[in-house]
Amino acid sequence: MADEPLLQLANVTVEAGGKALVRDVSFTLGRGEMIALIGPNGAGKTTLLRAILGTVRYRGKIAIGGRIGYVPQRLQYDRTLPMTVLEFMALTLQSSPVVFGIRRATRRRALELLEHVGATRLARSSLGGLSGGELQRVMLAGALHGAPELLLLDEPAAGVDMEGEATFLELIHKQVHERGATVVLVSHDLSVVSDITDRVICLNVDLKCEGKAKDLLTAERIAEVFGGHKAVYGHHHHH
Amino acid sequence: MIDVVINYFTQPWQTTILLCVVFACLSSGVLSPIVVSSRMAFFSDAVAHSTLAGVALGMLLGVGSPVTTMIAFAVIVALLIATLRQYTTLALDTLLGVAMAGSLAFGVLIYEKVRGYSDLHSYLFGSVSLLGTEDLVFLAANAVLALLMVGLFANKFLLVAVSRPLAQARGLPVARYEYLLIVVLGLVVAVGVRAVGLLLVNALLIVPAATSRNFSRSVAGMFWGSVAMALTAGLAGLFLSDWLDFAASPGIVAAAVILFLVSQLLRPLLGHQASE
Repeated sequence: MADEPLLQLANVTVEAGGKALVRDVSFTLGRGEMIALIGPNGAGKTTLLRAILGTVRYRGKIAIGGRIGYVPQRLQYDRTLPMTVLEFMALTLQSSPVVFGIRRATRRRALELLEHVGATRLARSSLGGLSGGELQRVMLAGALHGAPELLLLDEPAAGVDMEGEATFLELIHKQVHERGATVVLVSHDLSVVSDITDRVICLNVDLKCEGKAKDLLTAERIAEVFGGHKAVYGHHHHH
Repeated sequence: MIDVVINYFTQPWQTTILLCVVFACLSSGVLSPIVVSSRMAFFSDAVAHSTLAGVALGMLLGVGSPVTTMIAFAVIVALLIATLRQYTTLALDTLLGVAMAGSLAFGVLIYEKVRGYSDLHSYLFGSVSLLGTEDLVFLAANAVLALLMVGLFANKFLLVAVSRPLAQARGLPVARYEYLLIVVLGLVVAVGVRAVGLLLVNALLIVPAATSRNFSRSVAGMFWGSVAMALTAGLAGLFLSDWLDFAASPGIVAAAVILFLVSQLLRPLLGHQASE
């Protein structure tokens, strides 16, 4: 962990229609750190990510010392749109229109990125036909372009089977270890994140707790954060 | 039939018509995949209907050529819809329905006063057989504009079409691209309506890509398929309607829809062996 923080949030508040979605949140994230942002549904986790991405208005200060790669939560998209994984990757990798063809350099780069996530074989598959886990890996491959220092992953386990989830988390781990990437992993599922993250931040509009996963995750504390939502203990896998 | 086709290549006035149809089909065929992927089919429909009010307004105000007011009105309606969509909670189909009904009623009211009801026919179905050099210039410009849009921004439009939040997160000024697409569609539709009629413009912005989607597994396939479908429908419709003595615009639309139906029927066969 280097001295200079990679991500610094100071009193960040996001409001919509006079209601606070995120209130007065501050934390600091060092380089190469992997943290989990947990909280029940509607706790403002995705909103906080959007504030970091700069796609929602917020009050307070957010300082980022690098590029961001983002993997959205269960991407809602038109599954009937005919588009190959390679074409999807090329949309952001080349400036010439993908409909006129994929350049050789683009193809090479896209395959390289897909290889990082073990998804080279998906290159020619249709984007609409991917399983939840495959889609997450393709999204991660897309997010890795430009070697981002900060990876924001929104509920990467949602809609993914157990095996897919394990593979995905392994891939993330690899990014942290091999490239020194800093990761913010959003989850409403504690069991997913407690083993692999350095630190856990609990959010329920306000910041509720912060610390090492094992120290924090006492039953009383969880009940406090989640307001007795037992569900967080269990897996929510959508098959 | 052969004679009919040959005439289009030997008679200058018919060659002009042929080129007009080719350019109209080219611009729609090129934009159709973006319209369909972005789910803007009804949007172009609403804008097309608004052009009537634009023409009528131009005639009422005594502006030299109603083309100016027509294009201006279409673009204004397009921007109005886009703005209301962004800043209100109205559902898009509701918004489009109101815009379409409103501008059409408004247009017909003025139109009738200024020019009488009969001219509405050519507005709806175009008058392909009367197309001249001026139309050719406008339609060629339309095609160039459409190709430029695709050449410069297709990747961005497609990324937004796949997922708006993802495009936003990747730093794309999504709203700006949406406005751009809307303005260009407004222009293309307005120019197209004037030459080939409301029915044809709308059909050609939607049906070609709807058809090519049925047999494509890639965006490139859908794009080229759409261009090919639009041109095929345009030429087949033009020649056949001349030969059988029909009006050309509905003939072209019918040809496009028949191609769509065929692709829909063959879909199970085509879907799995389509090229990239």
